[in-house]
Amino acid sequence: MGSECVVPEWASQPCILGIDEAGRGPVLGPMVYGCLYCSRSYKNTLSTLSFADSKTLKEDKREELFESLKSNDSLGWAVDVIDPRDLSAKMLQKNKINLNEISHDSAMGLIHRVLKLGVLLTEVYIDTVGDAGKYEMKLSKVFPSIKFVVAKKADSLYPVVSGASIVAKVTRDRALRDWVLDESAENMHRNFGSGYPGDPQTKSWLEDHKHPIFGFPTLVRFSWATCNTYTKGGAEVLWESDQTEEDGGSNNSNGKRQLKLSNVGFTTSKRRSEEIESSGKGRCRFFQSRKLEQLTYF
Amino acid sequence: MGIGDTRMEKGGRGAPVNISLKGDGGEDLSGHIHQVPCCVKHDGPASVSDYFKPKLAGVGDDGLPLQQAHFRGRLLQGTTLPLPHGFSGFVLSKKSDSLADSQTECWETCATFRDFTYWNHEFAPSHNDDLFRAFHWLTLSQALHNPVTHEELALSSFSL
Repeated sequence: MGSECVVPEWASQPCILGIDEAGRGPVLGPMVYGCLYCSRSYKNTLSTLSFADSKTLKEDKREELFESLKSNDSLGWAVDVIDPRDLSAKMLQKNKINLNEISHDSAMGLIHRVLKLGVLLTEVYIDTVGDAGKYEMKLSKVFPSIKFVVAKKADSLYPVVSGASIVAKVTRDRALRDWVLDESAENMHRNFGSGYPGDPQTKSWLEDHKHPIFGFPTLVRFSWATCNTYTKGGAEVLWESDQTEEDGGSNNSNGKRQLKLSNVGFTTSKRRSEEIESSGKGRCRFFQSRKLEQLTYF
Repeated sequence: MGIGDTRMEKGGRGAPVNISLKGDGGEDLSGHIHQVPCCVKHDGPASVSDYFKPKLAGVGDDGLPLQQAHFRGRLLQGTTLPLPHGFSGFVLSKKSDSLADSQTECWETCATFRDFTYWNHEFAPSHNDDLFRAFHWLTLSQALHNPVTHEELALSSFSL
């Protein structure tokens, strides 16, 4: 989403771009990266447009400012909405990608998109994620022609970042408000609250939607530590991909036995652990390499 | 997998097991059987269709039609495998009234299936996966167990 369809005339002049994020902390819904850009000559006018850090503004004021910047021909904008399913999946896969990396990738993705449009970016202002110095080096390496200003609280220091924060925040709020739940269980409701783990409304939504087998609907970021407090008492799930990491260590744990047994579909057998794995151990290599073993009893 | 009444020896204890396989027994669960790359420590019904929502996800490198689904926050990639020709899948349950009879354990068919969807966690399913390769056994087994005709025998001894 963004103002991509029209490439403005001023895009060929040196331009500045601000990047900010919304929804990094919440346990519910997408994380949104937003950017705002304009020609460097518009910089002074920009600071008169009363953009401020989106968090200091009331919701209706943010909405109003978003509409006004959308209709402003001197400004361009774009957003990257990162689905909670993607956040959970990336943070829980074997080679875990942490939230900082996801954030960096999203910001760089936005810069790529704007450059590809043909906008001549010379300066990019961005709120830091992690160490500012390292982040700046990473960005400069990927985009050597751009001067980066990576700073804490960039959203309150630079109007172009304040504008980006409005773009991001409004998009995030709308995305959560209009979220279409994937799940079709009964008695689901949409009183999400802000999505922050401390919000009482969010807390009760989580309480109302926890599930002993599935955990939560996919709106929830499963990788957030706060989830564990709700899913205690639910069915334990052991993953094959987690298990292999522990191979060579104590692999006689009950979990391993149960896990491997699930491969053949019977979880109640009382076989000893060395016989448990469906590994084809002791059989001809054809069977070993296919993990086929003889099952002579249930 | 097969059709008919099967008797199996119960390992160690020697008590016979009676498994009743009925091709027309109960519900057809084709399209609803999922093999997931994890162990869920729960035995019993779960509202799978309300929470587990596979979506089509294009075609894999080796031409397999792929699906995606999420479970407990993890991305699963799967593909639906039809059972080979001549084979059926059976969902069995232990007959409760057989428990009193300590001699024989009875299992009966409560559903059948003609395909199942198998899911990987870290990577897209491919023909190189163990599960795919396990089916090679069926071809091999057939070759091993087919009766050898006199002509074939004559031919092979001739070539020696």
